[in-house]
Amino acid sequence: MSQLFDYEQQREAESAAKVRALEALLIEKGVIGSDSVDTVLGHFETVAGPFNGAKIVARAWVDAEYKARLLADTPAAIAELNLAQGMDGAEGEHMLAVANSADVHNLIICTLCSCYPWPILGLPPYWYKDPVFRARGVREPRAVLREFGVPVSADTEVAVWDSSAQIRWFVVPERPADSAHLSEEQLAALVTPESMMGVALVQLPAA
Amino acid sequence: MKLQHYLGGLENLGPVDVEKQVFVQPWEKRIFGIHTTMMAESAHLIDALPGYPMDTLPTAFKNTWTWASLRTGAEGMQPFEYFKFRYYEKWLMGISGFFVDQGYVSGDELKSRAEHYRREPDAPLPDQPNPAIREQIVRYLQEGDSGLRPYDAAPLFSDGQRVIVADPVAVDHTRLPGYLRNKPGTIVEVYAGAFAYFVNTGLDGIGEPMPVYRVAFDAADIWGEDKSEPNTTIYADLFEAYLQGPARS
Repeated sequence: MSQLFDYEQQREAESAAKVRALEALLIEKGVIGSDSVDTVLGHFETVAGPFNGAKIVARAWVDAEYKARLLADTPAAIAELNLAQGMDGAEGEHMLAVANSADVHNLIICTLCSCYPWPILGLPPYWYKDPVFRARGVREPRAVLREFGVPVSADTEVAVWDSSAQIRWFVVPERPADSAHLSEEQLAALVTPESMMGVALVQLPAA
Repeated sequence: MKLQHYLGGLENLGPVDVEKQVFVQPWEKRIFGIHTTMMAESAHLIDALPGYPMDTLPTAFKNTWTWASLRTGAEGMQPFEYFKFRYYEKWLMGISGFFVDQGYVSGDELKSRAEHYRREPDAPLPDQPNPAIREQIVRYLQEGDSGLRPYDAAPLFSDGQRVIVADPVAVDHTRLPGYLRNKPGTIVEVYAGAFAYFVNTGLDGIGEPMPVYRVAFDAADIWGEDKSEPNTTIYADLFEAYLQGPARS
């Protein structure tokens, strides 16, 4: 066991050294700037991230007409909100929303790689990139959802969206019951990236 | 067939990994940042809709680097190797291999510099900021690289039509999930306009602008009535080259 652990530590240390060496050489050779990588990473901390998707979902929950517009013309509805510039930028040029209901539960997947709506959800979590999720999500989505703690009744259709071309899909999850007392901002705080990909339900914090 | 193209539907894999982190090691952020900088500097962006200043950008990077580059590398891996490495480990292998193959860095200098950082993990990076590249990264992330292009011909298929998915030769890279090949589905949306892909995939058939369709598949039509979960629909967005039809009902 300890040998395995040593090996893993060594593997990570070697990857860390290799990527640092690559970045250093690319900077020296003028391929990238020393501020390039941090510029990319900063974008995903302040501009693009699941905080945008959460605001979109919360608005859809409190405003039924907005929700209808979001489902009918997703980019135009996103543009209505006062989000940062770039919500139709890289990996979000063509986004579409689908809504969960009592009739249908949506699950977003990318079986060929890891397509994900960057501007409003940021970067994909490991589970989304995992070959096991990508393999099983289209074959036995209900079993996969159960493993995520989301049982879906046989009466509810499961719709799986395989992101294979230009569209980046996301889910408007169902608003939690007994949440009428919460403000739009409080609702947004409950919305997780997983719920906007369909592998989690939005829940009220335990009292 | 390449296993990477046929991941969808593979069985006997055990439970899913529910890890919610985006990066599980700090070094993974750096290779993601290098990749995204390369995409923002890619030579092909000279033709992108936002009109990026690729001819004047002060960078030594002169290649095209897109998602297709990274995906082609991952799909070209020996399939059993593919499963041995974590997501960003594959990126690091593919991207460092690209820079060596293209002559930007030599294998020897990469190795000796990596040994240096292995001995001194906190040794600093060179300090050579590049404001023009920074500006291009921000613009690229904000304005993107849509494949939407003009197209004169009418789409071959229409909303509601039954189709069968084609089974073209997958050369180096495809956007057709293997599990859908030869399966019957129904077109539920003809997307407006036409979409180019980053590269021409050869006999696989995409690259030039063409219509894209949203196709709905009954899970039972893909996996078989007894081998699929009930009441399940799978949707995929498929380039026109990936469809034939109409299906015999």
